[in-house]
Amino acid sequence: MAEAEESPGDPGTASPRPLMRDLKAVGKKFMHVLYPRKSNTLLRDWDLWGPLILCVTLALMLQRDSADSEKDGGPQFAEVFVIVWFGAVTITLNSKLLGGNISFFQSLCVLGYCILPLTVAMLICRLVLLAGPGPINFMVRLFVVIVMFAWSIVASTAFLADSQPPNRRALAVYPVFLFYFVISWMILTFTPQ
Amino acid sequence: MLQQDSNDDTEDVSLFDAEEETTNRPRKSKIRHPVASFFHLFFRVSAVVVYLLCEFLSSSFIACMVTIILLLSCDFWAVKNVTGRLMVGLRWWNHIDEDGKSHWVFESRKESSQENKTVSEAESRIFWLGLIACPVLWVIFAFSALFSFRIKWLAVVIMGVVLQGANLYGYIRCKVGSRKNLTSMATSYLGKQFLRQNTGDDQTS
Repeated sequence: MAEAEESPGDPGTASPRPLMRDLKAVGKKFMHVLYPRKSNTLLRDWDLWGPLILCVTLALMLQRDSADSEKDGGPQFAEVFVIVWFGAVTITLNSKLLGGNISFFQSLCVLGYCILPLTVAMLICRLVLLAGPGPINFMVRLFVVIVMFAWSIVASTAFLADSQPPNRRALAVYPVFLFYFVISWMILTFTPQ
Repeated sequence: MLQQDSNDDTEDVSLFDAEEETTNRPRKSKIRHPVASFFHLFFRVSAVVVYLLCEFLSSSFIACMVTIILLLSCDFWAVKNVTGRLMVGLRWWNHIDEDGKSHWVFESRKESSQENKTVSEAESRIFWLGLIACPVLWVIFAFSALFSFRIKWLAVVIMGVVLQGANLYGYIRCKVGSRKNLTSMATSYLGKQFLRQNTGDDQTS
């Protein structure tokens, strides 16, 4: 379920699937998100490993260093997970109800992979925050988050927009906009204390 | 009588053995892929163990959660792509064709006459035991987390249910085959059990 597969020739031989092939496929999709161009890679050979890695990374980076060891960031970790996956599922259902011809897992795959620019933004924000708070600090983070947010939107609409009829495109893209906006907001308002 | 019953047990058609004719073939009972068998059980059992012992193993909830997620992911990949094929000769995947339509494909390896391609009974038992027991455990954990209000664990537990349930569902569909209906299979199995019990009772009485 977590990945689509092209069956390698003879269906009678059930040999194990090579791991390197899957790892390379995930890497290739990351490249396609960073340099979005019209291609079918994310859609045809979908897999959900990239979104899982990105979600876990993002959730780990959004942890606050709390002095109290009992509430050590558990709810925030689960919160990020729930927002990302619940949001992606809702957008997919919305897109399907609007009559899009994209399958459930393909849509989850695209939305999940396009979180990559925002994860990079989170990384940059955490590094910038090491320099100490201040207005310049905030302006830099704001600029980075806005750029990466735009990148995510462009990448995901490049893959998703074609699956909708033209008069419904705005209706299908608007929830995507909202989804990445919420994640960008979480990244921008993150403070380590 | 007892001898008869035990013979029936070894030739018993288990729930997941849909092909009747294979019961007459001699089944190997040695384990042909020990590494695959080990890893099939290792990831699943470790995930359950880490979940149960998280308080004692580490004081950090995050570390436990990430470990369990990692183990569940490795287990999903290993069972779907490696152990199912090696141990029982089944595989399932999703195929997107030219029109963008998605199809789910469930395949089972044909029983060939070659010695090294038949399914070993010990491996089959290990496979199905691991495949069925763990999702059931995760469902029990889900209810216990819900009712004892340990809500922060719910995300991980639901992930466990979904990933392991998906493998279970995929492999059951492979075994049953795309033509047979799952409910008719279950009814015929229950009917067989019922019949065997009644005829057994008749013989013993």
